[in-house]
Amino acid sequence: MAVDKKSSKEGYIELRFGPRWKYIACARSFIQNFLAISIADQTRADKIAMAASELLENAVKYASGDDTHILVNVYPETEKIRVQVINKASDESIKALKQVYGKISDENSLDAYVSQMKEAALRSDGKSQLGLARIRYETGGDLQMEIKDNVVRVMIDIG
Amino acid sequence: MNRLKIEPVVEERIKIYVDDSPQGVSIRFVGDIDMEDPSIILDPLFDKIHEGVIKLGVKEVSADFKELNFLNSSGIKGVAKWIMKLSEVDDDNKYVIKIIHNKDITWQVTSLPTLTFLVPGAVQVE
Repeated sequence: MAVDKKSSKEGYIELRFGPRWKYIACARSFIQNFLAISIADQTRADKIAMAASELLENAVKYASGDDTHILVNVYPETEKIRVQVINKASDESIKALKQVYGKISDENSLDAYVSQMKEAALRSDGKSQLGLARIRYETGGDLQMEIKDNVVRVMIDIG
Repeated sequence: MNRLKIEPVVEERIKIYVDDSPQGVSIRFVGDIDMEDPSIILDPLFDKIHEGVIKLGVKEVSADFKELNFLNSSGIKGVAKWIMKLSEVDDDNKYVIKIIHNKDITWQVTSLPTLTFLVPGAVQVE
């Protein structure tokens, strides 16, 4: 899947790693530090770092294969920030992801988050399926998902 | 030792202390809850707290998140699961969960107030 990386003026970081849980906290801190020198708004930086962390958690939990890829772009002209996480996933994981994505996209972000929280609280399978709803509500961003040949790209644009 | 006789949780990245408070019981979270499956520590802890406060007739539990740097969505699920237990108890056994948050930590400002929507009247955020 093609990944848009940069234009001449934007800043970006790109990390690729074999999906290991212990790397996520490091990636979160790294992204937060990158954003601290890229944008002035600390609250926005915190939200983006949270979003990146949740997307990576999803990728590590549900990825098949060993390559998880995160890209954070900062567009100074529009002050937009884009976070995208790309990984391979099984048919079963993709089906579950599509289901959650479809469900939360149908409601406003607060209702979707609260409703996913209630559902998560009643689940007994160890999953929460709360990450995407949380990202959408807490960042107020535009969440998108693309799937091609079992490669999943989840992307959030935060204005 | 607190009146519920609950030992603190001490893990590499998170410590959780349970203490008596003038109003009832307080829980204090220090560190990060960002492990893959926080239910391993949160579910048994919240079960003990829930059962203990009902048994002793405690009417208020404060949950102090001020020193919690990060809580992942699986951890939020754990907290939500605890709160949802209050939808199943009868009026005599109900207690209030007072969430104390840190206004300087962004996720706490955005996420913790949403917990008040789970069970009407069960949670207050201050």
